[in-house]
Amino acid sequence: MNFSARYLPATLLMFSLSLLLLVASTAGAAQTTLRIGISEEPRTLNVWKASDANSNKLLSLIYQPLYTQDPETLELTPWLAESMPNWDPEKNAYTMKLREAKWADGSPVTADDVVFTVRTIKKYKVPKYHSEWEFVEKVKAVDDRTVRFFLREPKATFLTRTLINYVVPKKQWAPLIKKAEKQEKPLSALLNTRVEDPLGCGPFVLKQWKEGNYLYLKKNPHFFGQGRTINNRRLGPHTDAVLFKVYGTADVAIMALKKKNIDFLWWSIQPGYIENLEKAENIRVFVNEKSALYYMGFNVRKAPFSDPALRQSTAILIDKEFIISRVLQGYASSMESIIPSENRFWYAGDLPAWGRGLSRSERIKKAYQRLAENGYTWKRPPVNEAGEVVSSSRILLPGGEKMEKFTILTPPADYDPNRATCGVMIQEWLNELGIPASARPMSFGALLETVKRKHDFDAFILGYGRLSLDPDYLRSFFHSDNDKPGGWNMSGYHNPDFDRLAEKSIAEMDTLNRREMIYRMQEMVMNNVPYIPLYNPSAIEAVAADRFSGWVQMVGGIGNIWSICQVKPQ
Amino acid sequence: MNLRKLILRRSLEILLIFFVILTILFLLFHLAPGDPVSRMVEPGMTAEDAEMLISQLGLDQPLWLQYLYYIKNFFAGNFGISFHYGQPVINIIGMRLPNTILLFTTSVFLSALAGVFWGKIVAWYKGRPVDTGVTILSLVCHTLFLPWIALLFIWIFAYRVGWFPLNGMITPELWLDPSTGFFAKAADIGHHMLLPLLTLFIIHVGEYLLIMRSSMLETLNEDYILTARAKGLSEKRIRNRHAAPNAYLPVVTNVGLSLAFSINGGALTETVFSWPGIGRELIFAVSNNDYPLAMACFLFISLVVLVANLVVDVVYAYLDPRIRY
Repeated sequence: MNFSARYLPATLLMFSLSLLLLVASTAGAAQTTLRIGISEEPRTLNVWKASDANSNKLLSLIYQPLYTQDPETLELTPWLAESMPNWDPEKNAYTMKLREAKWADGSPVTADDVVFTVRTIKKYKVPKYHSEWEFVEKVKAVDDRTVRFFLREPKATFLTRTLINYVVPKKQWAPLIKKAEKQEKPLSALLNTRVEDPLGCGPFVLKQWKEGNYLYLKKNPHFFGQGRTINNRRLGPHTDAVLFKVYGTADVAIMALKKKNIDFLWWSIQPGYIENLEKAENIRVFVNEKSALYYMGFNVRKAPFSDPALRQSTAILIDKEFIISRVLQGYASSMESIIPSENRFWYAGDLPAWGRGLSRSERIKKAYQRLAENGYTWKRPPVNEAGEVVSSSRILLPGGEKMEKFTILTPPADYDPNRATCGVMIQEWLNELGIPASARPMSFGALLETVKRKHDFDAFILGYGRLSLDPDYLRSFFHSDNDKPGGWNMSGYHNPDFDRLAEKSIAEMDTLNRREMIYRMQEMVMNNVPYIPLYNPSAIEAVAADRFSGWVQMVGGIGNIWSICQVKPQ
Repeated sequence: MNLRKLILRRSLEILLIFFVILTILFLLFHLAPGDPVSRMVEPGMTAEDAEMLISQLGLDQPLWLQYLYYIKNFFAGNFGISFHYGQPVINIIGMRLPNTILLFTTSVFLSALAGVFWGKIVAWYKGRPVDTGVTILSLVCHTLFLPWIALLFIWIFAYRVGWFPLNGMITPELWLDPSTGFFAKAADIGHHMLLPLLTLFIIHVGEYLLIMRSSMLETLNEDYILTARAKGLSEKRIRNRHAAPNAYLPVVTNVGLSLAFSINGGALTETVFSWPGIGRELIFAVSNNDYPLAMACFLFISLVVLVANLVVDVVYAYLDPRIRY
């Protein structure tokens, strides 16, 4: 008793101090600072190296590309460039003019900076960007603000993928590169160069990085977009600063948003939090489409999945609507192609919809019928003579032998509960037809190694959270040249017709013609089903509605350069 | 054997064990499936570019050569460069470690002090309601699931009541204000520390209390306690000057090892409270196959544990003159 009495004043003093500090810290908050919550601290500010999502978020406010996508139409829009580039088919050259823009230190952005950026990428084969620029033979500064790119061969992705990469300032990077060149491994030295004050021409400039705690950016007074109207959008930024705060868990980040410690959670929230957020005062939840792909892939190099009929039957058995409504709580769209339907320009609408809209028993009957037509048998078939679905024995291959057990590899539940659950569901659906599947969660690194390098697997479930809007990834995923250890054709899909079309499509400079080819490529893939596209989850984000307005929604969510340039304090 | 000889012998042992640990860690990380590049690449990146990245990280060399380079560099004081940060790992550890030490060492000392204090009292009142109550409470606290209690505390004390900040180590707005002085900044860190400290204290105090209680109970049965009573000494003096000092030894061992292991920062605590310590880095490094960072973190922890063992041995000898090695 005496002990408690003795320490009571000290305890009270501690609490008083805490309260005092809390009041002081709240009072210090600037009203025009946009406070953004992120899940992890950016790992690096080196634009050549940054590979994690949060580094890229931060860099997107500092460095700017020549072109970007319009938030509504997703069409290419001149950004740092003044207008769309001119194409000279005879010389295989594009010419484009820069806007009158300045770096954050007030020096002009010139054609020399663009040339320097491209030459650096090409000379050092900077892995992050090299494949985007590899086919550019040379680049020339025609005058201070005009650049000409000479392509080795026509490349459709030059506009949609290459020109949306950042331009870096020569004056900051030339000395750093000179230093890196003196090292034994110049590329390695370049990638490991520490950048504390990245010089960009974007809406904000980094002022302070208190490592482990926060990043503070101030408005760039020289931002070329300030007060300008691009695509009928008047740009700011209308905030004086941006403050990035790091939260270790989604629970705490959501509490911070509800308590108005942050204004925007730049973080894809799990659907389970939506109800709680919607109940909170002045919180607005945005649900947007993503350009993502979550899918089941097969190893078509070996039996049994070398048989398209078995893959098609698997596609029929998978109830995507069920997965979306039960696992993803409705916050996803069903995928009928490798290209998400949200990518309206490139998505081919009229594709084989394996089993769409069928009931469980209809799926089993249809899959049974397709397999039976292709020589598969059962001692006790899953559909009896009366046409009723019954418990079946194990499926027998067309040769009469029992199908061996096979494994569907998935990431573990702690990495992605949705994909792990999908694996178990698909296993059960296949078992209903006597197909001996078993889902096996595997650590993500091991899974990639097994599927991408060793090719030692039967089937797997993986996903891409951010696919580019240009559909050239179709070529990466299914061209037979990419079926090699470490290559993107993980399924081992070989189709000479597809290869020819893919090669033609990348060289086709007429967008509408190219779209026709992309349509046909989607059709081929969806007929052969080396991958079964499953779902495209929604981007769920939340903001403090009473603090800022003017968020711009686009594919991928509200965390984009348009929002950053347009949000206004309330 | 005198103390100097003991320290010398144990130091050599530590060096040998450390070398074995280094080798095992190297093999564990490099033989485990997966590579750091897989997560860095986008579908647009060609396999050749990915190989180039692997080569830049030095992972294309034969394993034995990588090992030799690692050993050579390690003993030259070069612990490697983090694959993801692109920075020397020693800088990353150097930046995070003080934060971890600040939080966890404080929590270990506070819990140990409180545990020893209450442990000797409840042992003295063995079998009475205070003993039963405190023992049960200690067991409950010790078995609490840390992330759960941490989130609960954040929800109650930071979100609902608003006494403490939700997370982190500092208030950015306060630190960005140029008029904020040194003491206000120090107080801000203290303010942010209180809630994680309270959580860690509740989790750990029971452990020390129970150890102290059981050690004290053994001591109280010793003849010299009976002698002290026969001499007519006061109960308080017997408890504090005769029994307690002899019951400290197991607590000392525990504190020493807890301090050492606390260097890994209790990754869960650091994650829930967004405390920028070494534990969070360790989780990131392991899950992203950042071998140099993960290995350096583990090696550092191993070294501290080994040295802490040596220190505990020496302190033992100091605290208990009967102990000679």
